[in-house]
Amino acid sequence: MNVQKLLHGIDAISTWVGKAAAWLIIILMTVVCVEVFKRYILNAPTAWIFDLDNMLYGSLFMLCGAYTLAQNAHVRGDFLYSSMKPRTQAMLDLVLYIVFFVPGIAALIYAGTYFAADSWRIAEHSNVTADGPPVYHFKTVIPIAGAFVMLQGIAEIMRAVVCLKTGEWPSRLHDVAEIDVVGEQLANSQYVDAESRKVAIERAKEIDEVARQRGMGGDLNK
Amino acid sequence: MSDPALGLLMLGLIVVVIMMGFPTAFTLMGLGMFFGYIAFYDPTHLFTENRVFELMVQRTYGAMTNDVLISIPLFVLMGYVMERGALVDKMFYSIQLAFRNVPASLAVATLIVCTFWGIASGLVGAVVVLMGVIAFNPMLRAGYDVKLASGVITAGGTLGILIPPSVMIIVYAAVAGQSVVKLYAAAMFPGFFLALLYLVYIIGWALINPKIAPKLPEEQTKVPVPDWLRKFQASYSNNIFVGLLKALVSPGKAMTLQTDHGRLTYWELVKNLAAALVPFILVAGTLATVWWYVVIHQQVAAAEAVSGLEQLGTPGLSGPAASPSEQGPPQGFYLWFGLIALLCAIWQIRYYIRLDAERLEVIKLLTSSVMPLGILTVVVLAVILFGITTATESAGVGAAGAFLLAFQARTLDWKRTKEAVFLTAKTTAMVCWLFVGSALFSGVFAILGGQALVEQWVLSLNMSPIQFMILSQAIIFLLGWPLEWTEIIVIFVPIFLPLLKHFGIDPVLWGVLVFVNLQAAFLSPPVAMSAFYLKGVAPSHVTLNQIFSGMMPYMAVIVVCMIIMYLWPGLTLWLPNYLYGG
Repeated sequence: MNVQKLLHGIDAISTWVGKAAAWLIIILMTVVCVEVFKRYILNAPTAWIFDLDNMLYGSLFMLCGAYTLAQNAHVRGDFLYSSMKPRTQAMLDLVLYIVFFVPGIAALIYAGTYFAADSWRIAEHSNVTADGPPVYHFKTVIPIAGAFVMLQGIAEIMRAVVCLKTGEWPSRLHDVAEIDVVGEQLANSQYVDAESRKVAIERAKEIDEVARQRGMGGDLNK
Repeated sequence: MSDPALGLLMLGLIVVVIMMGFPTAFTLMGLGMFFGYIAFYDPTHLFTENRVFELMVQRTYGAMTNDVLISIPLFVLMGYVMERGALVDKMFYSIQLAFRNVPASLAVATLIVCTFWGIASGLVGAVVVLMGVIAFNPMLRAGYDVKLASGVITAGGTLGILIPPSVMIIVYAAVAGQSVVKLYAAAMFPGFFLALLYLVYIIGWALINPKIAPKLPEEQTKVPVPDWLRKFQASYSNNIFVGLLKALVSPGKAMTLQTDHGRLTYWELVKNLAAALVPFILVAGTLATVWWYVVIHQQVAAAEAVSGLEQLGTPGLSGPAASPSEQGPPQGFYLWFGLIALLCAIWQIRYYIRLDAERLEVIKLLTSSVMPLGILTVVVLAVILFGITTATESAGVGAAGAFLLAFQARTLDWKRTKEAVFLTAKTTAMVCWLFVGSALFSGVFAILGGQALVEQWVLSLNMSPIQFMILSQAIIFLLGWPLEWTEIIVIFVPIFLPLLKHFGIDPVLWGVLVFVNLQAAFLSPPVAMSAFYLKGVAPSHVTLNQIFSGMMPYMAVIVVCMIIMYLWPGLTLWLPNYLYGG
């Protein structure tokens, strides 16, 4: 199916950007550790490290916004939502994406572009310390991240339309989920019998979904 | 429509739209944009020059440079790495052996593992499912009451969001403008106190009615002792500690013993002695640290402060009052410290006199399974609490430490590292985008005067502080049914925060009460998610109603805990006040 390919293509772009940005956390961790060593042991603190930390953290979460959206991992009040039929869900999503998401993110891109452009024009530097590092590239992250989120949002709108037509949600790219830890912990377990291990690992995903619906959706005794 | 009325409409709409299940971050952003556009509407300006755009981008940049939120990805990473690095089933096994003589030993072990695990990770779902597999079935097989078994897992599983270093506390700190460090110190005692109350409840119930938690059969509580250790005992001494010391002096007989991998070496004797000494080192180390912090560290710091500073400006102007910890040890400290040290010494002597092969094996198991995680968390928390580094720095070092531990335990490979990094990215993006949205939303809400209207209304009710406290906690409890903690703390808590001042309530105390309160909300039927997680892995004869009724007593325990916290604020506020001053 063509639409499905397009959707997965957009997902792949968001995921790639998000996963690339995710590695900033390792850089952030290393920078913090090196600075702790320098500051507390060598007694030689670095002035611009505060700005650098902020830039790493800010770019990290902004650029991961689209990835998170592509994985449907932004927190939502799924108490009622998850027990609705896919068509009802899609109808709600479609309306709310157009009413809230598109104007909000469009404003973010629009305002962010001016914000970053101003910063470039005056070659703005950070004012945390007297001789701060430049911040214009950091501010540029706002419109860029906004654009990726918008692209992913368009994909989500298309998903809603497809779902309205077919009555089924189009698939998403597979990715690691929090509940996966169950499988990892149990895979090498020495003290749990093989039978219950196998059942738990196989059903972990399903259990997660049913629990989120809190008994209103699926049958627990399947 | 007047502006404040618009503000209230905004608040009403947000509740409705959240319930419709749209991603909350974008709901907040969209609503903020619309109402902000109306609030800032100026007919003399072009439609593109509305000031709401500036508010939006400034708020976004504010979230990107927020120096409190920056520790979130680091703590989250630490949690995910630990969660993948520590072996929870081994932990459960060794703790269960260590507590084999306590009533309801399996339930006690479950609770302790949950508490430990809660320190490492803040995910309710994964903890409940894991403990459901590892502990629930053994408990049922041993004949434990279904209610007892299911209650301890669900209640223990939610402890993780309360016990520091938890992400919820950082988010509250960012919302309330409080210091993360202070909130960590404040949540420390109530968190462990709640775990202790659970423990008291379990053991108490098991003592009154032993039928609900029968003792395990002999063969399940038997500690596996290797063969060579038995022979070793026979040839040296029944007391392992004495025996090891003797063997180190005259290793002749020991060297002839066969272990699983060849002959016993001198080095292995030393390692065994080191393992036997672990309890002593832990107790002595803790006491020494307390002594160092209270007595030595403060006096050195005070001396440095006097000699290293020259008073500028008006001489004789006294500096800010020193926090109690800086004023040297209080009167009763030496007496209490002496008493506790004496008690510890007696306990240690008794312990080493009774040290036999089983106990040594238990120590070895505990050391290899619990100690790495324990040491890392204690170090991270101690470094934050003693004010040695900032929360961000501690989080960074903690994350690096978690990697080191996991590599050392050989539980982390490339795939798991990648997973931890990607999960961290998703969780961070989720929380921080929520912040971007709510920053715009709350800004617009305040500009429209909605906040002022809510305040006037609440003040016109003429409530006493305790009435307000109960009302606010009750509202948060109800919100905890359908919503996640992220939404409650980021959207609804800020509405209460300005009111606290009117009623003279400490925002730190109130915040910790909210954290404890949310525990109860997550345990309340029929919406408690943890019950459904447990149901998913439980045998089919366990019904949802049994799990729910198992959770009820723990909700009562939480309410008791909240009442104690309110009547005795010192439980929460003593540690932050002692460490950082009032």
